[in-house]
Amino acid sequence: MKTAPTGTSRLLRDLRSLNVVVFHPEDADGQELIAQLRRIGCRVQAYWPPRERLPDEADVVFLAVRPEVAAFDPSWVRRENAPPVIVVVNYENPTMVESVLRLNAYGVIAAPVKSFGLLTAIVVARNQVEQDRERARYVVKLEQRLASQRKLAKAKTILMQTRSVSEEDAYKLIREQAMTKRVTTEEIADAIIKANDILSFEGKG
Amino acid sequence: MTSPQLDPVRIGMLFSETGVTSVIETSQRIGTVLAVEEINSTGGIHGRELQLVSHDPQSRPSLYRSLAEKLIVEDGIRVIAGCYMSSTRKAVIPVLERWNALLLYPTLYEGFEYSRNVFYTGAAPNQNSVQLAEFMTRKFGSRVFMVGSDYVYPYESNRIMSDLVLERGGEKVAEVYLPLEAKRADFDGLVRQIKAAGPDFIFSTVVGESTAMLYRAYREAGLDPERMPIASLTTCEAEVKQMGAEFAAGHITSAPYFQSVDSPANRRIVPALQKRFGPEQIANQCLEAAYFQIHLLADAMRRADPDDVESLLRALPGSEFDAPQGRVRIDEQNHHTHLRPRIGRVNASGQFDILEESKDRVRPDPYLVSHTLQDWSVRTGLRSRA
Repeated sequence: MKTAPTGTSRLLRDLRSLNVVVFHPEDADGQELIAQLRRIGCRVQAYWPPRERLPDEADVVFLAVRPEVAAFDPSWVRRENAPPVIVVVNYENPTMVESVLRLNAYGVIAAPVKSFGLLTAIVVARNQVEQDRERARYVVKLEQRLASQRKLAKAKTILMQTRSVSEEDAYKLIREQAMTKRVTTEEIADAIIKANDILSFEGKG
Repeated sequence: MTSPQLDPVRIGMLFSETGVTSVIETSQRIGTVLAVEEINSTGGIHGRELQLVSHDPQSRPSLYRSLAEKLIVEDGIRVIAGCYMSSTRKAVIPVLERWNALLLYPTLYEGFEYSRNVFYTGAAPNQNSVQLAEFMTRKFGSRVFMVGSDYVYPYESNRIMSDLVLERGGEKVAEVYLPLEAKRADFDGLVRQIKAAGPDFIFSTVVGESTAMLYRAYREAGLDPERMPIASLTTCEAEVKQMGAEFAAGHITSAPYFQSVDSPANRRIVPALQKRFGPEQIANQCLEAAYFQIHLLADAMRRADPDDVESLLRALPGSEFDAPQGRVRIDEQNHHTHLRPRIGRVNASGQFDILEESKDRVRPDPYLVSHTLQDWSVRTGLRSRA
């Protein structure tokens, strides 16, 4: 894709290719919501009552939170890569706010629905959900790195004890093995830990 | 003729007679008056006279807001024609929505708006910016120097122009904003900057009294419009007359209407305008939009209840009129207007030579974020008249 540093951001450029799912009653607010989404240029699919299953193509979901569906709690909300939900509220009591929290909403539109503000809500919700996913991926990477560091430390300790070498030499040994066998230092560490488990088990027998 | 026994249908008018944008807004007031007098001379709205109630908002957004409220609440008016700068329109909209009144807005603007209470009869960016970018990059090159007045319309217009130029592999040499009240010396400094940068063309979104200062400073610095013209969406016949044709000649504007358009409606309207307002009176894109929007309104009023906003809101979308630029139509979905893009170049007499024009009217698309030159097949859509 062509993006110059000074060009318009991708989140804005993407607006016209978005599949927007609208769960809203077919009243004046529903009609205004759908009409404005179409003016913006999004593809819109509308349903009421809301569905337990999400249509295959859904980049953003608008969901009317109403007393009659306050217990609505679909599993797709907690799915990884779930599209951001923007709720449309016409009540503000604690029960309804609890529903909004349970739906993990990325934006709130207040009824009566106005044309003004929808575009910003969509762009902000998609930006937030992307940042959240990015952070989640980063956390997974950090956890993996931490686990790998723990293994390496343990493997070094084993080598230092069994071979009476310094920590630095233990690390060198692991690295040399990894290079020769063309695997990661983590895999060598793993192998050392496992071998040590087996040997110490035999030793005890 | 209209009947004095019947109640008149009153329309509010908010065009500045003083302040930075008074020249162009005065022309919008003239276009409105001309249309109202035409309609009244042919029987008004089923015998009822159209009557204008006008206030001067002095080019100040806060006055637009309070005067709109005054028109609606004190004068009992349901429909207002007015506004030029986006900041003034934005100030009026909450008032319209609160009291459920209508605004007819006869000015090109930057898009990204829809209010059910507004009808937009000037060009959206897909009806002027795209065509201008295509023309300028094809004829002059793609290194552009952007200069604008410091408010919302120039920011958004420059974003669109940047995208279009970058898409062509071009380059934004600079993007400079000057205050609406900038002085002549500021423009001399700006022109020195332009001269040093040597772009292929200048894209100006300077509006109001600053327009004349920019073109004069350009000319007096000895720059040549044949080689490096100023391209604009707002510099029309009114600004050219204000600055003097010798300063504007050779520069380019994209607009759906120029006084030089050759159409049956325009051949009738230009003499009528000069008969009513004097031989020196000239037309321009904002005057034309102000004129045809009143005719669209009157047509809708004849088919609906002229005093009922809901009834007008059903009658106006989809309506058509043979305007001076050609047949126009109000879009049902977004309340903007289907218009005819044109590219004009100022000649020695202060009129525009129309270099290219769209074969068909172009549907307004105010929420188009990402304009691409291919989308609009401007090349095949424009026929060259040069």
